[in-house]
Amino acid sequence: MNGTAMGISGKSFWERLQGVDRRILYTLIFASVIIPILWPLHLPTPVTPESRAFFNAVDSLPSGSVVLFPFDFWPSTLPETEPMAVAGLRHCFRKNLRVVGLSNVGMGGPSIADRLLDSIGAEFHKTYGVDYVNLGYKANYSAVLLGMGSKIADIFPTDHRGTRLDSIPLMRQVPNYDSVKFVLIVSDNAMTDYWVALVNARYGLPMVAGVTAIMAPKMLSYIQSHQLLGLLGGMKGAAEYEQLIEHSDKASRGMDAQSLIHFLIIAFIILGNFGFFMLRREQSQKGQN
Amino acid sequence: MKSRLPVLVAFISGALMILAFFGRGTVVDAVSDRALTWQTIVGGFSLLLGAVSIARVHWKKVATRHEDRFYSLCLLICFVVMGGSGVFYGIGSGTLFDTLFQRIQAPMMSTMFSVLAFFIASAAYRAFRARSASSAILLVAAVLVMLGRIPMGQYIYHGLPSWADWIMTVPSMAVQRGILIGAALGAASMSLRIILGIERTYLGRG
Repeated sequence: MNGTAMGISGKSFWERLQGVDRRILYTLIFASVIIPILWPLHLPTPVTPESRAFFNAVDSLPSGSVVLFPFDFWPSTLPETEPMAVAGLRHCFRKNLRVVGLSNVGMGGPSIADRLLDSIGAEFHKTYGVDYVNLGYKANYSAVLLGMGSKIADIFPTDHRGTRLDSIPLMRQVPNYDSVKFVLIVSDNAMTDYWVALVNARYGLPMVAGVTAIMAPKMLSYIQSHQLLGLLGGMKGAAEYEQLIEHSDKASRGMDAQSLIHFLIIAFIILGNFGFFMLRREQSQKGQN
Repeated sequence: MKSRLPVLVAFISGALMILAFFGRGTVVDAVSDRALTWQTIVGGFSLLLGAVSIARVHWKKVATRHEDRFYSLCLLICFVVMGGSGVFYGIGSGTLFDTLFQRIQAPMMSTMFSVLAFFIASAAYRAFRARSASSAILLVAAVLVMLGRIPMGQYIYHGLPSWADWIMTVPSMAVQRGILIGAALGAASMSLRIILGIERTYLGRG
């Protein structure tokens, strides 16, 4: 037995711990997601300085300002990005800011933008074409971002619904970036880098970004250089923003599940490493014998 | 002439964009605006090229009775249904295209992404091992950041969020900035090579 409990299979406890069936791990993950959704824990989410800066930047805009709102995310990251976009739109509409939506993601971006703009716009009794508009998608993001600086109608002759821009009241007042006060990006890809490099650098437009958690560390360098005024990182950032605009929604509900999952993954890492070291010690003892 | 003309076009286009970046409101800026509109049109055609290419590849698999022909057939059916509904009935809210996208495609893509959580958890248990000093540092940093970024972290130890912030804003950002600067320098030098005609692999020759 070599001082270690051996199972029926002849494997030690530590060996069996290393090869634990992945279905057990998956079941634990599944339970960690479902349980807090059914029975919320209401864990508090402390607000980071980057999220507060995001909120303050939008909140300080004068009523009636035009905000460019790129929906630069794929449907796959909707659980993370949609709450940010929803909270951002709620904040903009509550402040009576006028929103010009667009997307540099061809697959789904304009449809998501349409759905969110219409549903949140309806919450605040906003009118399409007067308070908000969806320009849709055009291929070749670098040409789109730079071209809009001179004349938006050259890049988007019509909006997503096929209406000519010169017959949309809001767009008659927004010929190019000179009439735009602010950019609120929600993105799950490198588009934030391009907004910073092509639009902030050349046209000096102030901007904030809501990005997926995996992108947030990279974006922090733009915060430090003041190229981004604020940042929301992943579902936690969205939950913080929901807290700041005092409208709890999907992100706040999802944070309990995310907290448990993080905790479980940390437990897995610690348990896996403990087992790994114990097995190594056991094997070296066997070698000595 | 066959290679000189594309190199000349690349040189003029690249130089025009560089000059326009520093001269707003000038003649160069006006010409570059026209070029940018052309770019979006060319971009649209490149999408069409991609669509035709993917249809050809999968049609060939179906026609030659390839072992994966059923997957290809499935792709072609979805391609025709989504493409056809968009072209013939529009893509606005409430259209067939929009319904198919919102009710089928978006949930499927979100589901695929969500499944990653299970693989990450399994991989964290099986593969994330402190086998060396550097991997141990990575592991400790990852655990601290994960704990510091969740509400439970501050219950375990109130200083954890500030530790996580320090890791993110000092060592992590230093590395990120280095990568960003390196990538930007690489992109700038590659662009210069293309503009000056030194790099010609885009012409299809080495």
